[in-house]
Amino acid sequence: MAHLCLTDVSVHFGGLQALTEVSFDLRPGEIVSLIGPNGAGKTTIFNVITGVYKISGGVVAYDGQTISGLRPHHILARGIARTFQNIRLFTAMTALENVMVARHCRTRSGVIGSVLRTGCQRAEERAVRERGMAALDFVGLAAHADAVAKNLPYGLQRRLEIARALGSDPTTILLDEPAAGLNPSESRELMEMIQRIAKTGVNVLLVEHDMSVVMNVSHRVVVLDHGVCICQGAPAEVRSNPAVIEAYLGSETD
Amino acid sequence: MDYLFQQLINGLTLGGVYALVALGYTMVYGIIQLINFAHGEIFAAGGYLGVILLSYMASQGLMDSHPWFGLAFALILAMGYCAMLAMAVEKVAYKPLRQSSRLSVLLSALGMSIFLQNGLMLTQGVYDKAYPTEFTHGGFEWLGVRVSYMQIGILAVTALLLVLLNTLVFKTRIGKAMRATAQDKVMSALVGIHSDKVISTTFAIGAALAAAAGIMVGLYYGSVRYDMGFVPGIKAFAAAVLGGIGNITGAMIGGLIIGMVEILAAAYIPAGGEYKDVFAFVILIGVLYFMPTGIMGENVDDTRV
Amino acid sequence: MSAKRVILTLVAMCLMAGTATAATLKIGSLSPLTGSYAADGNDIANGTRAAIAAIEKEGGIPGFDKIELFAEDSACDPRQAVAAANKLVNEKVVGVVGAYCSSATIPASETLAEADIPMLTPASTSEKVTERGLPYMFRVCGRDDDQSIAAMKFIKDVLKAKTIFIVDDKTTYSQGLADNVEKLANKEGLKVIAHDHVNQGDKDFSAVLTKIKDAKPDVLYMSLQNSASGALMLIQAKRAGVTAAIIGQDAVYHPQLMEIAKDAAEGMYLTFGYIDEETPSYKKFLAAYEKFGKPGAYSAYAYDAAYSLLSAIKAAKSTDPAKIKAELIKGDMQGASKKIKFQANGESGSNYIIRVVKDGKFANFWDPQTGKKY
Repeated sequence: MAHLCLTDVSVHFGGLQALTEVSFDLRPGEIVSLIGPNGAGKTTIFNVITGVYKISGGVVAYDGQTISGLRPHHILARGIARTFQNIRLFTAMTALENVMVARHCRTRSGVIGSVLRTGCQRAEERAVRERGMAALDFVGLAAHADAVAKNLPYGLQRRLEIARALGSDPTTILLDEPAAGLNPSESRELMEMIQRIAKTGVNVLLVEHDMSVVMNVSHRVVVLDHGVCICQGAPAEVRSNPAVIEAYLGSETD
Repeated sequence: MDYLFQQLINGLTLGGVYALVALGYTMVYGIIQLINFAHGEIFAAGGYLGVILLSYMASQGLMDSHPWFGLAFALILAMGYCAMLAMAVEKVAYKPLRQSSRLSVLLSALGMSIFLQNGLMLTQGVYDKAYPTEFTHGGFEWLGVRVSYMQIGILAVTALLLVLLNTLVFKTRIGKAMRATAQDKVMSALVGIHSDKVISTTFAIGAALAAAAGIMVGLYYGSVRYDMGFVPGIKAFAAAVLGGIGNITGAMIGGLIIGMVEILAAAYIPAGGEYKDVFAFVILIGVLYFMPTGIMGENVDDTRV
Repeated sequence: MSAKRVILTLVAMCLMAGTATAATLKIGSLSPLTGSYAADGNDIANGTRAAIAAIEKEGGIPGFDKIELFAEDSACDPRQAVAAANKLVNEKVVGVVGAYCSSATIPASETLAEADIPMLTPASTSEKVTERGLPYMFRVCGRDDDQSIAAMKFIKDVLKAKTIFIVDDKTTYSQGLADNVEKLANKEGLKVIAHDHVNQGDKDFSAVLTKIKDAKPDVLYMSLQNSASGALMLIQAKRAGVTAAIIGQDAVYHPQLMEIAKDAAEGMYLTFGYIDEETPSYKKFLAAYEKFGKPGAYSAYAYDAAYSLLSAIKAAKSTDPAKIKAELIKGDMQGASKKIKFQANGESGSNYIIRVVKDGKFANFWDPQTGKKY
C-alpha cells in the first residue's frame, strides 16, 4: 500500500512564499482532507505533488522514494492522479476517450505499431477500452461513454474528471474541490463515491470547501493557512481547534 | 466535357500533393502554435532522398526488375529519414525555445528553413536533379480523358496516407495523446502524456507525409531542385490556413481546393496561367473574410492536433 | 638581428607585396550563381574561368603575372545585379563578362558604364542591351529579334504550320521573344490560337497543356527562361498527349533538358546560334573547359567574351577602356562559339539556326540562311 509523505515542503514564486515547511502524510487506505481559507496553499500542494510546481525546499516521497523533481507524467506513472478545481476535460473528445487518454502511461505501443495496427497493439487498445469503460461504470457514466465531453451536464463532467483520474490505475488520487457546484443530492452521491474509491485500496487526498463532505468522509484533516500547516488530526479534533477557528473567522472578515 | 474532367484530374493530383504538405503545417501548428517554415525544406529533402535512392537502384538494375518494390522502398526510407530529420530540427531549433515567445520560435523556424535550403544547395548542387522517370510515363485514355499511372499513383498513395493518418489520430492512443496535447498541454502532462514525445512524434508524422509528397512530386514532374520546397510550402501553408489551421480534415480540403482553383483558373480564364496563384490567394482571402478561422474552423477543437 | 634590420626587412616585404598586387589583372563575371538560373549562371562563370586558364596557358598578359576573377552573383535580379556591379566597380576590375538575364544585365551595365568598365554579355539577347548607346557594352551572343525571325522562318517554310499556340514565362527575355513570334505569326498569316503565360518556378503545367491538347495547334512555341522548366513542360506535354511540334530557344539549350526530360525531349526544336564544333577554337575551348564538366548553352559564349576581352587587353597593352574598345572592334577572331567581329554598336552578329533533340543530343537541323537541312 502506498504512502505519500511531505516533509518540510516549501515553495516560493519569486518573493512570494506560497508554502512554508509543510509536512503531512497520507497513509495507506486513508481519506485525508486539506482545508483552509482561500489562498492558503491547498491547490499549490496538489501542484507540488503532481510535479507541476518545483519545490524550493523539503521532500515529497512516495512509497519511500523521492518524487519531488520528477516530471508530471512520471509522477502519474508512479500512481498519483488528480482532478481539477475548474474542470479541465479534453472537451472535444468523448467521455471514453478522455479516460483512455489517461491510460497512456500504462501502454507501450509506438507510432509504427499504431499505424500498422499490429495484433499486439489492437489487443492493447481493446484492454484500454475495457478498462476505460470500467472506470466510467464506476462513476456511473457508462451510458454516456460516447458523448462528447463538452456536451455533458456539469455534474457528469465532474464525475468524468474523477473517472479520468481513475483511468490511469492510480494508487493515490487527489481530488480538488469535487463538490464545487454540486447540489446536495449530487454531493451525497459524491461522498459515497469517494468512500467506494478508498475501499478499492486507493488513497484519497481531498481539497474541499463543503464542510459536510469533509467531516463525513475524512479520516484525518490537515488545515493550512497562508502556506503554513496549522493543525492536523481527526475531524472532530480539528473542528474544535482554536487556531482553525481563528483562521476561518479571520478570513471571513476580509 | 472531357476537357473539364481532364482538368479536374489535373487539379486533384496537384491538390493531393498540397494536402500532404499542408498536413504537416497544420499538425505542428495545432500542437505548438508554430508555423513551421522549415516544413517546405523537409518536403524538398524527401524529394532529394528519393532521387538519390531511385537513381542508385536504377543503376543497379533494380528498377527494371522490381519497379514497384523499388518505389515503395524509396518512399518508406525517405519518409523515415525525413521523420528523423524533422525530429532533429525540432530538438535543435524549437524545443530549447519552448518557454520563449512565439516570435522567437518563428524566427528560429525561418532560420532553420534557410539553413536547410542552403544545406541542400551545398550538398546537392544548384542544378536540377533528374529522376529516373522512364517507368512513370505510361497511362491510359478513358472516355477522352488521359490519366497517367503517376496520377493514379499519387492519388492512391495520398488517399492511403490520409486514411492511415486519420486512423492514427482518431483511433489510436498516440492520436488521442496528440489531440489531448493540442487541447491542453498541462492537463495532458497530468494525465501522464509525455508532451515532448508527442510533439516530436507530430513533427515526425508531418515530415513523413511531406517526404512522400516530395518523392511523388519528383517522380511526377521529373526533377527536384534545392529550392523546390519554397513555392509548394507557401501554397500548402495557404491550404492549411484555408482549411482552418490546426484542423486535419481542413488541411486536406484546403489542399484540394487550392490545387483545383489553380488548375481551373489556368484552364478557363484566358491567359489565366499567369494569374492562377492570384486566384488561389484571392479565394483564400475571400474565405477568410467570411470565415476567419477557415473552412473547418468552427469545430476547430474536434479534429485538431 | 637589430631593430633597424627588422624594420628594413618589413619595409622590403611591404614593397614586394605592393608590386605583387600591381601585377594582378582583375576581371569580373556577373551571372546568376543561385536561384532558378544557377545552372546557366555557373556555366558563364566557368566559361570565363576556362578562358582565363587558356590565356594563362598561352603565356598570360605581359605586365601581369596573375589574372584574378571576381565571380559575382546577379541572381537574375535587377537589384542584386546592381549591387554586384557596384562591388565589381569597387574591386576596380577592368572588364566584366555578364550578365545572364537581360533584365539584370541592363541595370548592371548602367552602373558599370558610370565607371567606364567594358561589359561583354554572353547571354542577354534582348535588343535593348545594345540599343541604349552605352560606349562599352558588347554582346557575344545573338539578338532576340533575329532569333524570332529564324524561328518563324522555320515554322512557315519547314513545318508549314497554320496554327500556333504560344506560352511564355513572363521574363523580359521570354516574353519579349514570345511577343516577337506572335507579331511575326500574325504578319505571316498564321492563326495564333492563344498566347498564354505561366509563372517562373512553376512545376505544374497540366492546365495549360490540357488546353493545348484540346486546341490541337500545329506548333507550340515554348518560350521559357529555364531549361529545367522546359524539361518539365516537355514531360507533361508528352503525358498530356500534346502532338504539336514544339519549338524552344536558346535559354533551354542545356544538357539538363535531356537529363530531366529524357525521351520526352526527343524531336523538340530550338533556335540557337550555330557553333561549329570542328574548329580548333572550339576544341581548345573544350580542353580548357574539361574540368568544369559538359559545356552548357553559354559556356562557349562566356569563354569567347572573356577571351576577347583578355586578348584586347593584351593587344592594347593597356587597361584603358577606350583602347580596349578599339582593339575589340579591330579584332576579328574565330571564337569557340562563332566568328566574332564586333561592330561599333557592340553587336557581334547573330547566326541562329534550328536544332533538334535527337538521341539525347542537340543536333544541327536547318539553316535559315541557306534554307537547307544539315
